[in-house]
Amino acid sequence: MPEVVRQRLPLFEEQGRSASVPDSVGRNLHYLPDLPSEDPYQAGHRTCAGCGPAIQYRWVLKAAGENTIMAGPTGCMYVANSTYLSTPYTVPWAHTQIAGGGSFTSGVASAYEAMIRKGKYKGEYPNIIVMAGDGSAADIGIGAISGGLYRNHDALFICYDNECYANTGIQTSPTTPYGGATTFTPPGKVIPEGKKLPAKNLAKMMSEGHPNCYVATTTVGYTIDLMNKTRKGLNHQGAAFLHCYTPCQKGWVYQTPMTVELSRRVVESGLFPVWEYDPATRKYSYFIPPVIRPVTDYLAMQGRFGHMHPEHVATMQMAANRNWEDMGVEVTDRLRELEKSEYHMALRDEDYALPINRGVGA
Amino acid sequence: MAKTIPDPSEETLVRTEGSPDLGMTPGLAHAQRLSEMAGQTMRMNGCSASSHAALFADVDVVTAYPIRPYTAIMMNIAQFIADGLLDAEYIHADGEHSQLSAALGAASAGARVFTGSSGVGVTYAYEMYSPISGARIPVQMAIADRTLDPPGDFGSEHTDALCTRDMGWLLGWACTPQEVFDKHLLGFAIGEDPRCLLPQMICQDGYFVSHISGEVQLPTMEQMDTFLPPYKHPFALDPRKPVSHGPQIHPQQGPPLQLERARSMEAAIPIIREKTDEFAKVFGREYPHFVESYMLEDAEIVFVIQGAHSVTCMSAVKRARERGIKAGMARLLWIRPFPTEDLQQALGTAKVVGIVETNLCMGGASLAGALTLDVTTALYQAQNRPLVTSFMAGLGGETIPLEEFAWMVDKLEAAKENGHIEKAAHWVGFEE
Repeated sequence: MPEVVRQRLPLFEEQGRSASVPDSVGRNLHYLPDLPSEDPYQAGHRTCAGCGPAIQYRWVLKAAGENTIMAGPTGCMYVANSTYLSTPYTVPWAHTQIAGGGSFTSGVASAYEAMIRKGKYKGEYPNIIVMAGDGSAADIGIGAISGGLYRNHDALFICYDNECYANTGIQTSPTTPYGGATTFTPPGKVIPEGKKLPAKNLAKMMSEGHPNCYVATTTVGYTIDLMNKTRKGLNHQGAAFLHCYTPCQKGWVYQTPMTVELSRRVVESGLFPVWEYDPATRKYSYFIPPVIRPVTDYLAMQGRFGHMHPEHVATMQMAANRNWEDMGVEVTDRLRELEKSEYHMALRDEDYALPINRGVGA
Repeated sequence: MAKTIPDPSEETLVRTEGSPDLGMTPGLAHAQRLSEMAGQTMRMNGCSASSHAALFADVDVVTAYPIRPYTAIMMNIAQFIADGLLDAEYIHADGEHSQLSAALGAASAGARVFTGSSGVGVTYAYEMYSPISGARIPVQMAIADRTLDPPGDFGSEHTDALCTRDMGWLLGWACTPQEVFDKHLLGFAIGEDPRCLLPQMICQDGYFVSHISGEVQLPTMEQMDTFLPPYKHPFALDPRKPVSHGPQIHPQQGPPLQLERARSMEAAIPIIREKTDEFAKVFGREYPHFVESYMLEDAEIVFVIQGAHSVTCMSAVKRARERGIKAGMARLLWIRPFPTEDLQQALGTAKVVGIVETNLCMGGASLAGALTLDVTTALYQAQNRPLVTSFMAGLGGETIPLEEFAWMVDKLEAAKENGHIEKAAHWVGFEE
């Protein structure tokens, strides 16, 4: 019986340019000469300028290489990427139904296990990756992804999280943060905060519920981290889940060049903890950013939060402080103070060095 | 004190002979290799026949989710894998939608895939039928019919699979375990043919076929090799030959693609004929291509029917003949693609046609079942255009006893005498 030969992808050097280094020391070094020259995510797509998911697609596929099969459930990255006769992929790619990302991918993985074992396919086991949006991964298709993780198929399940159903015109998803304005959670006189519910903790659901899987979170602000976590997920024999924060310029209403900056500020303000879960030790390791900021530094950059009152901003700071505590970071007195609304003003009145979109909602 | 964990390789574990009794055909579980079963005649029920077909077809991936009555098909396959008779990946799906989605993924990657369901399980997966056929991925699905809710009812009704009849799948009913077995093999051969590339739904009535035993002649390995070559999809997801499946189109690109899908169904008709003939040559069992004719040569009143109740129907026709009534029966073996031409020929002498509907098609033009819509349309274009009426019978999984068929015969005879039908749809058992 032929043996299933699996790939081992080497990790990239993080020294001196990883996320834990402050900007002043060279974190902004975009010249990364040791990255592979192959680019399986090519031209041919029509994503928006400043698209976070497109940046993520490129780094993930660069990290994975050509021996890869990609699945993409319905979402903005289906519609924007795969125009008939001009898809941007140089690797095999298939559309799946929005609820079928996890299950389709399970099928592909099972097919390769069986075909290689039965001598019907001669070659190394390919990287099998599904990139599901947050609507697909956290809402309608969560059962299928959980099923895939539970059955422990050798595949990488990724949620590219732009915190809304962007494809259909910015509707709330379970990962839309508290206060986020969407077309289904518009702020108004009776509901001034817009979205009232806090986000679902998708990655923790996956790691706590599927303890044999490699689970990690990251953002497109940290290229090497994203690529290394992709490779670790692929190298892990069994299922892996990667939750990647990917800003949506159209949905969040911010200045186009700020995608990467937002992806760092969300971590630095404690609103999106970046961590890795090791199934061997069942331990989490949290990334502690070199800079820690109040949440206003992050919120005020985005029009989707522009309607927030002082008490809403205070609520967000409270959530961020709880996150810092979870990560074992000591919360400073200044950040504690910011849990009170009297220390805030309405977000539209905040003044920052960075140009802010003053729009109210998407 | 440290516990000693027994080594499974030692004879410390008590293992019962063969498999637990879960509907498995007695004796077969003792086979060590597929070749030990090959060529034998065994008694088995319809579920077991389905699972044995998947075994002989050497499927690569099976996706399962339990629902009565088809569950036993998947139980048997799980046992085949556990016993080492079948080398396949078995996906315990988290629901029928995932079951069909995983089947699509696996078959898109180039594996031969087997799945199945019953009742509301079939409809739970509804979204997946069009994407699978539209992608031209020849997944095979076994269905043991069950009513749709409400209320909860385990009985057989064809409504479940008929709901999917316009989704681009090959669709047909078998009425004995042997026919179930054969139809699965035929389905793979037809659907996987590179000229066809369509998914197949192989149906059997719940309980009447799925849980009643009959003799099944299993094929030899040589017969299998001759009839069913290994599956090879021309555009599989393979990193060595990258392709994109299912990209987004613009509206103006829709018509040609839909036309191609519609043509694929038409194109399947000659392939079904060809493979059915080839099947007869290899296995020695002859099936009509599309329509089984029973006493049709000079028949004036004719039942059109599909599935298990045709067995009773044949007895009823025979009894009617004994009473001097020129009765006959046409049984549909496939209804997608619909055999318009074959049916027109089979009903060439008919004056009144009674369609036995074991399904619900609420508010339709037939006021009754789904088959009537197709049969009537086919007959509208025929040279001989008989009167048509429908019989709603066997709903909820009831049997259709001979007396009810005799009642239907009388209704058809009366329509023949009067030159018109009494009503479009009769609810058998509720009328005088």
